[in-house]
Amino acid sequence: MGEPLLDIRNLESFYGPIMAIRGVSLKVEKGQIVTVLGANGAGKSTLLRTISGIMDPEKGQVLFNGREIQGQEPHRIVQQGIVHVPEGREVFPLLTVDENLTLGAYTRSDRVGVQRDREMVFEYFPILAERRGQEAGTLSGGQQQMLAIGRGLMLRPELMLLDEPSLGLSPLLVQEIFAILRRLNTQEHVTMMLVEQNARIALDLADVGYVMEIGRIVMDGSADRLMQSEDIKSFYLGHQDVGERGERRWKRKKTWR
Amino acid sequence: MQTVEHPQVTLNGVSYNATPGLRPVRVDGCDTIAKLFAARCGELSDRVAHREKDMGIWKAYSWADYWRHAKWLGLGLRALGLQRGEVVSILSEDRKEWLYADMGIQGVGGIASGVYTTDSADQLAYILNDSGSRFLIVEDDEQLDKYLEIQDQVPDLLKVVILEREGLHDLDHDRCLFLDDLYEIGRQYDGDDPECFTDEILKSQAEDTALLIYTSGTTGKPKGAMLSNENVLGTLESGAHGLGPYPTDEQLCFLPLCHILERNVSVYLPLAARSTVNFAESPETVFDNLREVSPSTFFAVPRVWEKVYSQVLVMAQEATSVGRWAFARAIQAGETRAEYLLQDQPVPMGVQARYMLWDFLVLRNLRRMLGMDRLRRGGTGAAPISPALLKWYWAIGVRLLEGYGMTENAGLTAINTLEANKGGTVGQAVPGVKIRIAEDGEIQTQGTNNFKGYWRNNEKTVETFTKDGWLRTGDVGRLDGDGYLTITGRIKDIIITAGGKNITPAEIESRLKFSHYIADAVVIGDQRKYLSCLIMIDQENVEKFAQDRKIPFSDFASLCAAQDVVALIGDEVETVNREFARVEQIKQFRLINVLLTAEDDELTATMKLKRNLVEQKHKALIDQMY
Repeated sequence: MGEPLLDIRNLESFYGPIMAIRGVSLKVEKGQIVTVLGANGAGKSTLLRTISGIMDPEKGQVLFNGREIQGQEPHRIVQQGIVHVPEGREVFPLLTVDENLTLGAYTRSDRVGVQRDREMVFEYFPILAERRGQEAGTLSGGQQQMLAIGRGLMLRPELMLLDEPSLGLSPLLVQEIFAILRRLNTQEHVTMMLVEQNARIALDLADVGYVMEIGRIVMDGSADRLMQSEDIKSFYLGHQDVGERGERRWKRKKTWR
Repeated sequence: MQTVEHPQVTLNGVSYNATPGLRPVRVDGCDTIAKLFAARCGELSDRVAHREKDMGIWKAYSWADYWRHAKWLGLGLRALGLQRGEVVSILSEDRKEWLYADMGIQGVGGIASGVYTTDSADQLAYILNDSGSRFLIVEDDEQLDKYLEIQDQVPDLLKVVILEREGLHDLDHDRCLFLDDLYEIGRQYDGDDPECFTDEILKSQAEDTALLIYTSGTTGKPKGAMLSNENVLGTLESGAHGLGPYPTDEQLCFLPLCHILERNVSVYLPLAARSTVNFAESPETVFDNLREVSPSTFFAVPRVWEKVYSQVLVMAQEATSVGRWAFARAIQAGETRAEYLLQDQPVPMGVQARYMLWDFLVLRNLRRMLGMDRLRRGGTGAAPISPALLKWYWAIGVRLLEGYGMTENAGLTAINTLEANKGGTVGQAVPGVKIRIAEDGEIQTQGTNNFKGYWRNNEKTVETFTKDGWLRTGDVGRLDGDGYLTITGRIKDIIITAGGKNITPAEIESRLKFSHYIADAVVIGDQRKYLSCLIMIDQENVEKFAQDRKIPFSDFASLCAAQDVVALIGDEVETVNREFARVEQIKQFRLINVLLTAEDDELTATMKLKRNLVEQKHKALIDQMY
């Protein structure tokens, strides 16, 4: 493999005096889906926010296509082809679906291309086509999530950062959205970096996974390997060895191997 | 039995034989631990014996509580069938109930044996069967599950006593009961026969086995060392003559009580000294608890001292430039003074004055931040400590003394004291203990604290004593002209290379361990062409190194694989190599790229690598090097 699309080296980010990311290094190859797993407060979202320029890192580098982009303004990063689909489906509630998509393509000037991509979004998310004139705030949670992803696609991104797309959605909807993400990856060759708490679905989708705990990567490997790890099984996939008593309150110690 | 009365001496309010090392050993006239316990509880009654944190608040427990609960626990076990001379195993983290159990068991003539909470179910089964334990005391559901896994393999066990009810309200098992139930049984027994506990205590004899301590044993299965009352009192006597504990002392208990070091320091020494023991909440909160308690004396293993040091360095790096400057000057002033102190030489006036100034400006604040502002002396043992680290502690005004002992002589052979201290040695023999160096270099000791032998293992017992009755420590070392002992290694570990050269690996290993980046190392080379080494890196410090130098890594394995990290360790190995002759130099090394925890077989409970298991488990790595 050549140069990775995204190469993060020893990144450190702070919220005031609190170190949220303590030296994270990871790579995303072109065409891959990489997932970052971790509990609340592990620093996953902060990692995405640091990549997309919403936050500036204290130390470390973010290399995109071999060029350092850390610390740049968010709009400069967007122009280089990184799109951030934020947590909690932050769509513009008072604008229509169509207007939301138009805003997604704000930086583009090729009308024809934009129109084609809008059709592509509608093809992947037919429900959005049905509701194109409706205010985004009146959509259901799942539809808003689709719109947020669709809005991101309007930029024809090289890399899409997805922050917990499964959050607050019914299992069925999660299945649906993840199936679409897979199609986007195989058919449109969108490289994705996906932050998730739902480890099962994320590892199912991803090629490579990283596990974050309190600001650090504690484990990484192919999604298959992670799926087999005892620690992942008991802490992220909810497998329980119930033991002799048939109920067990305590958890085994994590070793991450 | 004839009673000889030796002239007595009173040390800090406790009377001992004026000449240490004579039989019978007496502490305030008592010849057994249980009798001393009874005397202290009677005398101190409402004074604070222990403190424990409950829902975030330190709570005090008196000597009367200690007595009452130990009595109920002991009588409860007796009511359930415990006979004198039978073993009870304790599987719990440090807490006051551990001590209640120890004293309760000994009070009714039982033998207390601790099991490490990190031991697996299989290891537990082995120890229960080997010791023939009649009862098992477990802390909580997690430890109970180990027993449940092996319940069919331990036929001699009568009952299991559980300390914490949480998560177990539905438990219905005919061999299990909770501690409060046991107290209730004991309380009723006491009501029916109020003199019983005291009578049983009076039956205890100096030569009775009081406790079993299973030694981790780097080779073969663990063995139970039998320590008699006399052995433990012998150590208390030596300690009193050498260390001088006070009744007002506050201590912090945090190392495993199954280990002789913490057991002595937190259970038996306070019995003699009347001091107060504070229990750390958990191994993770030790440093916070240290600050809260600010103990008068603090015994720890080198790893703990190393951790505190690393924390201070990080704090110093993050200080302002003025702060950093002042810190560097203060350490410098302290180290100049420490050099005199560690050689047992008088400190020149100018050096002392400069230290006093920096102490006033910087060091005393540092000590307060660490919770060492009231510390009269710190102790270190169980593994060699780096001379540089020792000096650093003396520099910041913490009087850290290195000592040496082993389970088989109740934990105390030699120790540096405030009066007689030589850095880099483990001190002079404690009063009452004699040390000699055998022809092959082995350290051998004699004293009232030499153990009785291994439980049901005569063969090993015979091997452990010389024909003239001295204890073979298995350690190699030398005595200097002033009687200070230096340890160089383990006799069994001596490597004979293919070239026929004898090498003590521990000497090289401890040099390596003095590096901040190396947590532990195992030197390999028996019957091989040259020496090689497996190294366990210090995760925290190496991570910080990688961070500061922008070396990318994700998990522990990738950290170990990073070129710069390998180069860093290579440099450390090279530095050590320079101190040794050619044949003793390490030609190849590999990093152990899994983060080992105390649950892993390769590590002892005190986080030391076990040579033979490391050699087995990481054979592939070793083969790469030859």
